[in-house]
Amino acid sequence: MAKISLKINGQIREIDVDPNMPLLWTIRDHLGLTGTKYGCGIAQCGSCTVHLNGESVRSCVIPTGTIVDQEITTIEGLSKNNDHPVQLAWIQEQVPQCGYCQSGQIMSTAAMLKKNPNPSDEEIDNALNLVLCRCGCYPRIKKAIKQSIKM
Amino acid sequence: MEQISRRKFIHLSSVSGAFLVVGCVPGPNGDQQVITKVSADLAGLDLNQFISIGLDNSIILYNHRPEMGQGTFQSIPMILAEELEVDIDRVEIRQSEASRDLYGSQMVVGSRSIQTEFEKLRKMGAAARELLKQAAANTWNIGVDQCKASNGSVISEDGKVLTYGQLVEEANKLEPLENPPLKDPKDFKIIGKPVFRKDIPLKTNGEAKFGIDLYTPGMLYASVERSSVFLGKVKSYDDSETLKVPGVKFVFRTEREVYGRKREGVAVLAENYWSAVQGRKALNIEWDTLNLEEISNETITGDSYEAAKKDGDELFGKGDVKNVFKGNSTVIEAAYETPYQAHVPMEPMNAMVSIKDNSAEFWGSTQNPNGIRSFLSKKYEIPENAIKINYTFMGGGFGRRSMTDVAEEAADLSKKSGAPVKVIWTREDDQTQGPFRACSLNVCKAVLDVSGKINALEHKVIAQEIRNQTGDNMTAGRQLMGGINTEYLIPNLSVKGVLRKRHVPISYWRAVYHSTNPFAHESFIDELAHLAGKDPVKFRLDMLDHPRYRRVLSEVAKITNWNAPRPKGTGRGIATAERSGAFFAMVIEVMQKGKSVVPTKITTVLDLGICINPNTVKAQTEGSIVMGLGAAYAGLTIENGSIVEQNFDSYPQLKISQCPEIETLILKSEAPPDGAGESGLPTVAPALANAIFDLTGKRIRKLPIDMDGII
Repeated sequence: MAKISLKINGQIREIDVDPNMPLLWTIRDHLGLTGTKYGCGIAQCGSCTVHLNGESVRSCVIPTGTIVDQEITTIEGLSKNNDHPVQLAWIQEQVPQCGYCQSGQIMSTAAMLKKNPNPSDEEIDNALNLVLCRCGCYPRIKKAIKQSIKM
Repeated sequence: MEQISRRKFIHLSSVSGAFLVVGCVPGPNGDQQVITKVSADLAGLDLNQFISIGLDNSIILYNHRPEMGQGTFQSIPMILAEELEVDIDRVEIRQSEASRDLYGSQMVVGSRSIQTEFEKLRKMGAAARELLKQAAANTWNIGVDQCKASNGSVISEDGKVLTYGQLVEEANKLEPLENPPLKDPKDFKIIGKPVFRKDIPLKTNGEAKFGIDLYTPGMLYASVERSSVFLGKVKSYDDSETLKVPGVKFVFRTEREVYGRKREGVAVLAENYWSAVQGRKALNIEWDTLNLEEISNETITGDSYEAAKKDGDELFGKGDVKNVFKGNSTVIEAAYETPYQAHVPMEPMNAMVSIKDNSAEFWGSTQNPNGIRSFLSKKYEIPENAIKINYTFMGGGFGRRSMTDVAEEAADLSKKSGAPVKVIWTREDDQTQGPFRACSLNVCKAVLDVSGKINALEHKVIAQEIRNQTGDNMTAGRQLMGGINTEYLIPNLSVKGVLRKRHVPISYWRAVYHSTNPFAHESFIDELAHLAGKDPVKFRLDMLDHPRYRRVLSEVAKITNWNAPRPKGTGRGIATAERSGAFFAMVIEVMQKGKSVVPTKITTVLDLGICINPNTVKAQTEGSIVMGLGAAYAGLTIENGSIVEQNFDSYPQLKISQCPEIETLILKSEAPPDGAGESGLPTVAPALANAIFDLTGKRIRKLPIDMDGII
């Protein structure tokens, strides 16, 4: 166990955890931010996607001890009022079904659009290809991304 | 549906004192669904168990079916709001409690929530509306026939208006009608409109709670190591290294029942999930695998082909197939294979249970909340009313969450540890432990007559049956023939089953046998059409006088320009099926891309009776197509008695780049609603295989398909 200080959603949080524990479980079980989801544990499904210094990363494979003093943003910190353009587009296009993977879909999309505000279909596929949705929201995700670009 | 007599209900009420019976409405199957007034809570006055109206005119509608993505969280209240005459956008929707007495069955399986509940929900909405109208009539001292309900108010013929909030106290004193008048479907204002789902904003900011997210003070997390060879028994285990892992509290043997068989494991309980998983990795377990390592895909396939030589049990028959086949040298035969599939809900299986001396509590995502209560009550001899069931949104279910087995593990570990225990399965557990969608072999035979019509057809299904996985009874049941279209006008038609029993556990998977049998049936019909030199759509239509099949087939052919010439390097295939009462036909268009074949567009036409929310029904069809395509591209294999594919790296799920354009047309209908949650899934594999044949001339008779290896 080790005392670790994390900067998450703009706040400094002090915790005492095993530094090898993946960031995912630290976020969920120690910080109580359950919007970030466990899906596979091997960085293959994207449900656990968060932003690390603005880049989308898979929190299930990053040891908590390796990310001290970096900016972490989770779905809870993406916007105050559920009004990030990607969130608004997701509601407009009625994307989620079960909703479980959607934090990962939205965080991955938001990070992609920040870097590349007008992605081609191929660039969208590349950015989201390892963010799995078992309910099959893909056609609506594609529409919502186009929609959020307009916003 | 749980039957509840009025007398029994009054008796229960007098015990609990919580409810007041105010009326009785017959349920959809003639069973009794009692309308009750629940004692008023802070939210408002409950006109019945589905509808609560506040003095401030706030309206709460209760959805009584667990939500796993299918969208009944919105469509059930839409039905209530339609008859109640309120604006669906200004009501609050809440999940109801789990209570068989108040709501009958709350299990979400087989796309039944709308089709079985539609009439009941309409009556609930209408009964409350009529109470409010009567209350207004009493207030104004006029006849109820001079009152009209509209947009949350009652209006008199001479223009007086009272809001529902102003009427609810008076209405609450009245007796509801047993058979309130229902609206003419022509007057529906909400049903049939693409209404936004109120659960969706909760699912874009992390607010929605799933079972895996729940916390209760004092809880422990558990991870369970189980034999990779199904049915393996724990001979012995050494937990000395496990107990050294910081945070680990206990190690226990545990077990759960899966379709009549005990499945054993060793559980590690810890203060946090990560520690439980680390502790589990440090376990040293010796398993007795009962020589089941000898079983592999190869032995299973060999067994299926051997079993196919048997006559089998006739599940459907007309004419005399045997007689036509006898000595006939023109019998056409084809065999189709499908693999095992895992359910793979994105939220891995989990459950939290606390067992105390005379009470219990469950928290989690389940398709079957009352089933969990019954199980806990029986197993721990706790009265049902001392068991609290907290059910949440589910991160997918697809049939897997209709089982209570994970709650059983959590309950066992709570009993042993004395703490509330949350068991979380890893993705590897989910993929390798099952229970799975059954694999199958389908052997089809037919004889065409001189005009090219099918004279005789036999479809033999060789597979395990969910309802009959253990014991000596080897008679195939009708479950095995799910999805085989017996409406084709074939004079001699026979569907047969050859039951297999295997150590691999199976269960209900979205569309169940409709996810395998139509691949064979609709591919074989296509093969016969080509052998007869006929167009596959015309060939089917010529054999069908069923109006709904004819309608969906004709419509999909029309909107996809079936008869128009198509560009070189493209192909298209058709298939049709029925599932949960809904009829649909699908055209898949494919093209050659380098050495691969890729689907470019999938068009589905649905006839599912009255459609409550087209937005949701389209989403369900898109989801069924994505799941069907995933299952056409990947499957599970068995070696050494165990599943080979451990996680998504070896069992790939459909990706966004693999999702073609999808178009769905819902046909207008005033017939009662059918199930929408699985429509489209059964037709994906056959329509795709038929399209591949159209493009390449190669017949796909085995799933999964290697799309890069066809050309």
